[in-house]
Amino acid sequence: MKKRKLPFWCSCVVMGSGQLMYRQWIKGLLYLGCLALYLYYLFTSGITDIIGFFTLGTVEGDPWLGIQGDDSILMLLRGIMALLVTAGAVGLHILNIRDVAAMEDALAREKTLPGFREIMRRFVDRKFYVVALFLPIVGVLIFNVLPILFMTLIAFTNYGGDIVPPKLVDWIGFDNFRRIFQLSEVKSTFLRILGWNLLWAFTATFLSYFGGLLLALLLNKKCVRGKAFWRAFPIIAYAVPGFITLLGFKFMFSYGGPINHYITAAGGNAIGFLDIDAGWKARLIGLLVNTWISVPTSMLLATGMLSNMRADLYEAASLDGAGRWKQFTKLTLPFVIFSTTPTLITSFVGNFNNFGVFYFLRGGLYLDGYFLASDTDLLINWLYNLSIDNNYYGIGAAVSLIIFVITSIFSLYAYVNSSAFKKEDTYR
Amino acid sequence: MLRKKQVLCGILAVIMGVSMTGCGSSGEKSETEKKADEVKASGGEEMIVLRILENDTAKSEGYLDELLEAFNKEYEGQIQAVDANMEEYSNLAENGPYGYGPDVIYQANDKLMTYAEDKHILALNKEDYDCREYIPQEAWDAFTMTIDGTQYLCGIPVNVQEPMLFYRKDLLPENWEQEWDQDGNQVPDFLENWNDLYAYSKSIVEESGNSKWGLVAPCNDLYMSAGFLFSYGAYVFGEDTKDIGLAAGDAATGMMALRQFAGIMNEECIDDSIKQSRYSKVADGTYFCSISTPDTYVLFHDRLAKIYEEEGISQAEADQKAAENIGMVELPRLLPAKGDLSVPSADMEEKEWVSNVVMGGVNGYGISAYTKHREACVTFVNFATGYDLVKKRAEILGIAPTRSDVASDIGGVSGMIFESLNEGHIYLMPSVKAVDQIWDPMQTLLSDVAKDAFRERNGETVKYPDQDAMQAALEKVSKNIYDAIYTLAQ
Repeated sequence: MKKRKLPFWCSCVVMGSGQLMYRQWIKGLLYLGCLALYLYYLFTSGITDIIGFFTLGTVEGDPWLGIQGDDSILMLLRGIMALLVTAGAVGLHILNIRDVAAMEDALAREKTLPGFREIMRRFVDRKFYVVALFLPIVGVLIFNVLPILFMTLIAFTNYGGDIVPPKLVDWIGFDNFRRIFQLSEVKSTFLRILGWNLLWAFTATFLSYFGGLLLALLLNKKCVRGKAFWRAFPIIAYAVPGFITLLGFKFMFSYGGPINHYITAAGGNAIGFLDIDAGWKARLIGLLVNTWISVPTSMLLATGMLSNMRADLYEAASLDGAGRWKQFTKLTLPFVIFSTTPTLITSFVGNFNNFGVFYFLRGGLYLDGYFLASDTDLLINWLYNLSIDNNYYGIGAAVSLIIFVITSIFSLYAYVNSSAFKKEDTYR
Repeated sequence: MLRKKQVLCGILAVIMGVSMTGCGSSGEKSETEKKADEVKASGGEEMIVLRILENDTAKSEGYLDELLEAFNKEYEGQIQAVDANMEEYSNLAENGPYGYGPDVIYQANDKLMTYAEDKHILALNKEDYDCREYIPQEAWDAFTMTIDGTQYLCGIPVNVQEPMLFYRKDLLPENWEQEWDQDGNQVPDFLENWNDLYAYSKSIVEESGNSKWGLVAPCNDLYMSAGFLFSYGAYVFGEDTKDIGLAAGDAATGMMALRQFAGIMNEECIDDSIKQSRYSKVADGTYFCSISTPDTYVLFHDRLAKIYEEEGISQAEADQKAAENIGMVELPRLLPAKGDLSVPSADMEEKEWVSNVVMGGVNGYGISAYTKHREACVTFVNFATGYDLVKKRAEILGIAPTRSDVASDIGGVSGMIFESLNEGHIYLMPSVKAVDQIWDPMQTLLSDVAKDAFRERNGETVKYPDQDAMQAALEKVSKNIYDAIYTLAQ
């Protein structure tokens, strides 16, 4: 470790003081100003917010008696903000120390230090990415990281049920997770839904991906006349809002819908496609409806990919004696999959968390053997039932964390083992 | 290159500056604040502005405008009531503490009392309201809760709702006075007891060869089907929410009766299809009658009027003819004690009937605990629950008032519903938060029970062949509701 001079140590204690001692007035004052602002924030509300983060309130409100009380949820949110601001201040302090150390080194080499304007000019020139990304990162912190942190932390509280403000929320550690995995009804529901959820995600992704690819291949054939006309149909299906399509399908398959109308008109008995006994019938309808909604997206994607395929590859393969199936499996499929792996993963995650299909087709059923869920519900629907319909926010947040872990593992595993990751340069 | 970067930095700084302006306090004022400013500017220093949250129907039918106009005229220069301009079911618990909620809120007892449980609405003094003498105790009870042994009133009742039977008067059998009016009271028997309604419905289905039906109702809707439970001794919550009584008494008998009736409906009664189709199918005569809430009368009427118009008569004539031919009555008052709807009513003795008890709700006013003008809110609610305004509400919206004086003056269906409430024929939705947990499990069971009738008809394996199976199902659903309330609660 280098032996540092007094300004360095002064900056370690008071941000900006080292810069001032090196006569870097503007920079020093800016650092000092930031420190002053942080201290002002800390003593006016920061300390209270950080303490509140740990206590989540001590005085229960009573609107009838005019006692405002503590709002645990607001305190949690403000506590996260205070910790983020503190983390930012610590980061700035480290920057300040590194800056003084750099000044010391520069002085040892060049005997003079550049002025503030020159420093800023150099900074903008060399660290342009920092300037350009500052605003988006602040935005991401406020609008993405903060809510995610908030929801994550909710999973470790008893928020929900009867414990909603003005009642005080408390930290309960891993109790919500323990209850998911220990309470027999909840655990069995979780495992049953998880099994179906995985099957659903794989099947739905497979159907929509290969459905779109096959449609794109079909419409790419030279013998197909009026391609633009035929391509327009899936686009129309795509353009209709998803929930409208789902409600339309729900009506079609309901007892009063046209399908049952024709069945009964033909002398048959009405079929409960989506009713309490439907089981696999309802699951299959969900898969088909989801395919109907998602095929246009993958068809468009595949159409774009196929337009980039080199015709001479097929000619060469044909001369080498490769049949159409061989050409498809050895040329078309690897090329399309290589280019669309990230989309495939997104599609898998999207399908894993596909809330709308069964919410609109078959919502509101709680079946035997399931805790506040039905046999077609996915984890995301169960999460909704728990947290919105039944106010179990803490448990809901814990389920959402579990969903996050599962989808992250699958996505990372699929991506790291894909050609798009392993053979990045192949098609460049 | 450097120049470009500097320009870019400048643009980014401007964007940041512009976006940050959104973080500061807005210079824009809300409608309420503007109103308050206007009032102050006109010299009214003491003027109070109240935000009133009414239901959507009251807004769309113009009742809220009339109410506000009348109140503001009465209290000119002192209190100004304005539309809160919020979604009908906007959450007071979320908005109130931060100053965004309404001052006065109008909702059903179950919703309003959910707020009361967490003290988001104020406890009220009955003596402050002139309507106190005219409202039956049952209605007050819907807005009363007990904390540590003390009873608190948290809402002022305005109107009562219950499911009603909508039927086609012009489709009554020509000889109904001879064939279907054994007691000679000039009311068809099938509108008075469920056994005759079953018999008449069955005759319609058989005579039409399964192309027309008598009663087709949403069996999966607890609100509509609750009579088959409550009439037989079931209840929602007893002493507390741990005592779930949906399997109590002879509830299984009632559910078997529901299953029996579902057998002569069509499959639309199993899912939500009937809720969409009942208006048009009663209008085109496919169904003789259906069950719905009084506020949907206009939908039955309009569909029928449209059919008449299509037949070539003028709109005015069609409206009048539809009004003459759509009947709205309470559900048949008598159910068989043994649950067998197929027994002819003539063979039943008086003691073999049980009185039908339906599920109902009371709508009323509550005052936000976060209002800054408690006294003004009391004044407003007192005004809005006065004779003139409640009568006007009943006339415009067709509601059944809880005020006995208004109910007796306007009579008709409103008076009938009021009497039912007074006589205990309406089981009011419990005014506790836990009631939210009963709907989905019961909807599933009711749907399953209705479906069971069709399983039998189609020769499939039935799930509820006898009362024991039904009792077990009711006990299971009660346990599910208990679990939903308590298993995950801290």
